[in-house]
Amino acid sequence: MATEVKLPRLGQGMEAGTIVKWLKSEGDKVEKGEPLFEIDTDKVTQEVEADFSGTLLKIALESGEAPVGETIAWIGDEGEQVAAEAPGGDSAGEADRTEGSDAGEQADGGAPQSAEKPAQAPAREPDREEGREAAAQAAESQPAAERPVRDSGPRERARGNREVPPAELERSKNGGRIKASPLARRIARERGIDLSRLSGTGPDGRIVAEDVERAKAAPAAAPAAAPPGEVESVPLTNIRKTIARRLTEAWQAPVFQLTVSADMERADRLVARSRELNPDVRVTVTDVLAKISAQALMRHRDVNVQFSEDALLKHPSAHIGIAVAAPQGLVVPVVRGVERLSLPETANARGEAVGRARDGKLQRDDLEGGTFTISNLGMHGVEQFVAVLNPPQAAILAVGATEDRVVARDGEIVVRPTMTMTLTVDHRAVDGAAAADFLRTLKTFLEDPALAL
Amino acid sequence: MPELSYREAVRDALATALRGDEDVFIMGEDIAEMGGSMGVTQGLLDEFGAERIRNTPISEMAIVGAGIGAAIAGMRPVVEIMYEDFLTLSLEQIVNQAAKHRYMSGGQITVPLTIRTQGGAGWSPGAQHAQQLEAWLVHVPGLKVVYPSTPTDVRGLLWSSIYDDNPVIFFEHRLLYPLKEEVPDELEGIPLGKARVVKEGTDVTVIAIGPLVHRTVAAAKEAEKDGISVEIVDPRTLQPLDEETLVESVKKTNRAVVAHEAVTRMGFGAEVTAVLQEQAFDWLDAPIERVGAKFAPLPFAPVMEQFVIPQPEDVLAAIRRTMGR
Repeated sequence: MATEVKLPRLGQGMEAGTIVKWLKSEGDKVEKGEPLFEIDTDKVTQEVEADFSGTLLKIALESGEAPVGETIAWIGDEGEQVAAEAPGGDSAGEADRTEGSDAGEQADGGAPQSAEKPAQAPAREPDREEGREAAAQAAESQPAAERPVRDSGPRERARGNREVPPAELERSKNGGRIKASPLARRIARERGIDLSRLSGTGPDGRIVAEDVERAKAAPAAAPAAAPPGEVESVPLTNIRKTIARRLTEAWQAPVFQLTVSADMERADRLVARSRELNPDVRVTVTDVLAKISAQALMRHRDVNVQFSEDALLKHPSAHIGIAVAAPQGLVVPVVRGVERLSLPETANARGEAVGRARDGKLQRDDLEGGTFTISNLGMHGVEQFVAVLNPPQAAILAVGATEDRVVARDGEIVVRPTMTMTLTVDHRAVDGAAAADFLRTLKTFLEDPALAL
Repeated sequence: MPELSYREAVRDALATALRGDEDVFIMGEDIAEMGGSMGVTQGLLDEFGAERIRNTPISEMAIVGAGIGAAIAGMRPVVEIMYEDFLTLSLEQIVNQAAKHRYMSGGQITVPLTIRTQGGAGWSPGAQHAQQLEAWLVHVPGLKVVYPSTPTDVRGLLWSSIYDDNPVIFFEHRLLYPLKEEVPDELEGIPLGKARVVKEGTDVTVIAIGPLVHRTVAAAKEAEKDGISVEIVDPRTLQPLDEETLVESVKKTNRAVVAHEAVTRMGFGAEVTAVLQEQAFDWLDAPIERVGAKFAPLPFAPVMEQFVIPQPEDVLAAIRRTMGR
């Protein structure tokens, strides 16, 4: 009895996800708990595990976006047939039951327990665009080599553009739709050609059959680097879109910035000693900053807050987000309860989270619930900078490089390892003096970490 | 093979039927001595007499009603409505009576009536004498609708219409009457519901009716100069429609244009377009183009009239659009 694999909801508010790739092929055995596919949500790319064991019978959505709850594959007994059901036609539970009974009536009764095995059942009347695609495939009884990317959004005219942009670019302009003729889509589907890689030569950049034929003739002419002098257009990934959306939101918060410099001699020595004592754990300045920030936040609970519509949410624990430049873009994994962690524990937790971020393996949990963020560009030699708030958190710390600077101390000119950090604060949640107090504590702890105990 | 004009071909089909079958007779306004306002029935009164070639009062309702009665009584009447614009006056009889009797009597009554009419613009007949209303009739179940474009077709299809046991609305076009063509020696019926491939081609199918068949032939010649190979299909019978031939052609060429002289809005071409997208969606490489009159009453002024009705250039432009040129 084939069971539908549906696009999972991986967090609050997730409405759609994009299948990046399948980690199993049709016909493969799948064990419950094995990674089955990779999905790109608006926050992360993550692996999704199979909920049940069996044979991966059919993949309905090879790649591309689908709403939560859409059927994207079937798992069942080896050799079992699945109906060429339109994915997405039945995301509701009731629809599933109806479908089951339909299928039962149409089953040929060949095998026991095959009530829901509609062998060669005719495709039901599809009611969506994807449905028609699927129905057309079924009618031709050809395997779905490649499903075209989900269509949505209105057509948009782009007349007068003599340059022919790749469909991917067109698609970003057309709200996700690749403009291609039905014939072009059919040929692409039959030959497994990805329409998003093609340029359309038809009216308004429509991909026509000839374009697909040409693509077949020259398969190597894929996404060639743009010739010098031409603008290369890179479509926005979900993560990029999220970064843009969230930072634009953040820009609306009334913020102020406070800057201090700290003498880093003892903090640096702490890093060095920790590594000496525990070579297995690679402690960094960021870890010291995270730990010390957590301690300071516990003493300044009015900074460890989130601003919400009608209340300030004061958090009992310091969940520190670390801004990470992952290959796919900026992500901020969260290390939880840092005030309860030792420095090596902090380093371990931070190291794992950053590693997952770099590998694109962050889980939704990794990204949620932060109360304070540290963004460290010191390793890039930046002296100081101003970070953009990470709402709903009330503060973010921008950390510059530790460098030898000439400073005055006790009337003497001395050279000290000095680091400048800037705190960006949501003024709706925290006032200047409170933030300044917190920053002074942070500076004091950094200059003398023992005080943080 | 004899050469006949479209007008002579209609007359030949009528005369042949009248000669061979006592049940056939014709009625209409001024069709006897005058030979009809378009001269189609000239000479028939002399050969067949006033009993079978009957003038009627000026009442389209009465003409069609009398035809229905005679058809129910066992005759095979052919009635003429002078202009298709005046079909509107007889729609009650056509739509509610002729089209319904066979169904409502459970097949006990048939109405083997042929209603000939003519119309069309291009000679400044004005807004009330130039319309193309075929789509109105295609919309009514129980009728057959025929619209031939050549002498051969008009002769063979009129014959089949007379001998069809259903009411047939038979459209002729005023501008086609002088059109001449060699026709087969023997009159042969052309089955209703069979399209004709006017010209074979590989790049785009133009489905045209009536005068647009000929304007499309002209457009296709121009298109060939640009290397565009045009296939032209004339459905000839609009109801029942030979969907199979149309769909097959479009599956071959992957592009389609529909063309008629009637306005495009809710026109016969809209129905053809729907059929094509339902049955050949995955074969279409371009949106289906429609060619028809602009949505306006037909002007009397010749230059304005020509502007409103579709020209060969309009068909050519539509062909080019489907080719992305």
